[in-house]
Amino acid sequence: MAHQKSAQYDRVVRKQYRELMDRCKVNLDRMDSELPPPVEDFQDVLKDRGVSRRSFIKWTSIMTGALMLPPMFKPMVARAAEQFSRVPVVWLHMAECTGCSEALLRTSYPNIDDILLDTISLEYHETLMAAAGDQAEQCLEKALHDFPGKFVCVVEGAIPLAMGGKYLTLGPKGKTGLQLAREVTSKAAMTICIGSCSAFGNVQAAKPNPTGAVGVGQALGIETVNIAGCPPNPNNFVGTILHCLMFGGLPALDGLGRPVWAYGKRIHDYCERRPHYDAGEFVEEWGDDGAKKGWCLYKVGCKGPYTFANCGRIRFNDAISWPIMAGHGCIGCTEPNFWDTMAPLEKPIQDATIGGGEATVDHIAMGLTVATVAGIAAHAGATAWVHRDDKDTANKE
Amino acid sequence: MENIVPKKEWSVAIRYNHWIMAFSIFALIVTGFYIAFPFTLTQGETVNKFFMGNTRGVHVFFGVILLFLFVWRLYLAAFSRFHADWKDFFAWTDINNTVKQIKFYLLVSKEPPAHKYLYGPLQSLAYGGLLFLVLLICLTGLILMGAGYHAGWTALIYPVVKPFEIILGGLASVRYIHHVLTWAFVLFIIVHVYMAFWYDVIFKEGTVSSMISGVVFRKGDH
Ligand code: HEM
Ligand code: SF4
Repeated sequence: MAHQKSAQYDRVVRKQYRELMDRCKVNLDRMDSELPPPVEDFQDVLKDRGVSRRSFIKWTSIMTGALMLPPMFKPMVARAAEQFSRVPVVWLHMAECTGCSEALLRTSYPNIDDILLDTISLEYHETLMAAAGDQAEQCLEKALHDFPGKFVCVVEGAIPLAMGGKYLTLGPKGKTGLQLAREVTSKAAMTICIGSCSAFGNVQAAKPNPTGAVGVGQALGIETVNIAGCPPNPNNFVGTILHCLMFGGLPALDGLGRPVWAYGKRIHDYCERRPHYDAGEFVEEWGDDGAKKGWCLYKVGCKGPYTFANCGRIRFNDAISWPIMAGHGCIGCTEPNFWDTMAPLEKPIQDATIGGGEATVDHIAMGLTVATVAGIAAHAGATAWVHRDDKDTANKE
Repeated sequence: MENIVPKKEWSVAIRYNHWIMAFSIFALIVTGFYIAFPFTLTQGETVNKFFMGNTRGVHVFFGVILLFLFVWRLYLAAFSRFHADWKDFFAWTDINNTVKQIKFYLLVSKEPPAHKYLYGPLQSLAYGGLLFLVLLICLTGLILMGAGYHAGWTALIYPVVKPFEIILGGLASVRYIHHVLTWAFVLFIIVHVYMAFWYDVIFKEGTVSSMISGVVFRKGDH
């Protein structure tokens, strides 16, 4: 019975995947004809950078798995990767530190993600392009003109809204970030927010937020794909674009605009220290025995239980490590307003102090409890005195 | 001799509901505080230990029981065949009587408030408030549960409560609210238990035992 059922299940699933595969092929063909021609041949690029065919195949396996697709999709991922650098991209910088660009573009030695991001056809990227001033402005105008409704707008950084957005002015014409973002995103095929600043406002939007910074979606009232993180993992950006190329549309997004394939589960769900959490083995302070044994970091402030991201599965810097592996708790950087909601970063959340003072909610509640018990004792004493001569107090209906 | 009349005050259902809820909340506070302030078990091998895992299991078990008790209590308030008491939760709307009860509690006056409803004015506020707290803690609890368990029934509930997670500002805020609400339960229990005994002493009607036997002993001819 069970065997029959699972065989039937297999058939259904295989059929679904075959249909998905057909859709994928049609879509990749369409993309091939629609996208601007490649500047360099992708295989040559890989060879030039010393990436073997074998490493490339390995990378497609990882990427296919990360996108939650079965292995039969590996050749499709490879094809999409070849198309990747043909997607015209306009990259805007708002109120930010350029850390996301740095994280995406710099590595000790290039892996495929980095090469994809290196060779991406950036029509406009304020940090990386050679042009400046008026020339830069022309690049942007040209991109908007050449690829109307076809390019991907990537935004890095929050948008300040206070003082009519004047906390952020850029370019030779002194446009505000708000104006520029509105202009460009309105012509883009889609807007991808890279990093928690453009997604949710991040540190610029942390209390008291003097510049009125907010995420791009909120500032412009548009739907954005939010690749959250401070900085986000390059994989999550690359994977989302690959998904669009393969299936001709956005991957499923969660309620906060984050792709579910990357942000569908919590850090805590895939953490390698999790068995220690469930066993009740915690690092009590930095450098203690528990820390040496790799125990759970909950008590030194790990926010993995509240944070949706796949860091533990794909890791950073060519999958070498990630924060919890390195020995510090997760700080929750893929969540909205994490500077406020996840504080203090090296203690559990209930240890947040209230109203700028020293007291935590537990101090206050403990004080209230003591006061209540004392109040009860006083009330009991007073009752004994006041009602000392009572024979009966009738409870009248 | 004075006339003492036993009067059935609480149905069997209400009494079961009360005591299972009391026990569940007690268990939830104890296990919840371990989850919030865990201590490390240093002895033994990791593979042989599952203390946090079990504590969370027990917590969620009683959490779901509390949820069912809550729904059952609402049902009784609306449809109980013995006495559907939803109206009694509005006893506080009689402001004069409420003031009277406050004075009586503060020992300013020795005249008790009129006993028109099943609950006194302040009780009606406290018990209504408690049910609201239970609703909130069940909601935040379900969110935390759904985020952590990805299969079975919990996976079905999570999409329903997920929008509240976003409205409340993410799981961290949800957990914080859950934590703060726990203290509200602690304070409620202290005051509630004291007041039950206080009533017993002042009116000598057997308030405390009434939640077990269902009967209060009224004096007089009614
Ligand atoms: C009177 C009722 C309850 C009390 C006093 C209570 C108390 C607590 C406390 C103190 C925590 C730890 C929070 C922290 O770390 O700051 C907690 C966590 C939790 N509670 Fe409750 N809770 C109650 C009801 C519920 C209900 C009804 C549910 C679910 C149906 C629930 C599910 C959870 C879950 C899933 C967690 C998180 C555990 C984890 O991270 O694995 N709780 N609770
Ligand atoms: S280290 Fe953090 S994410 Fe990992 S198990 Fe502990 S609390 Fe969860």
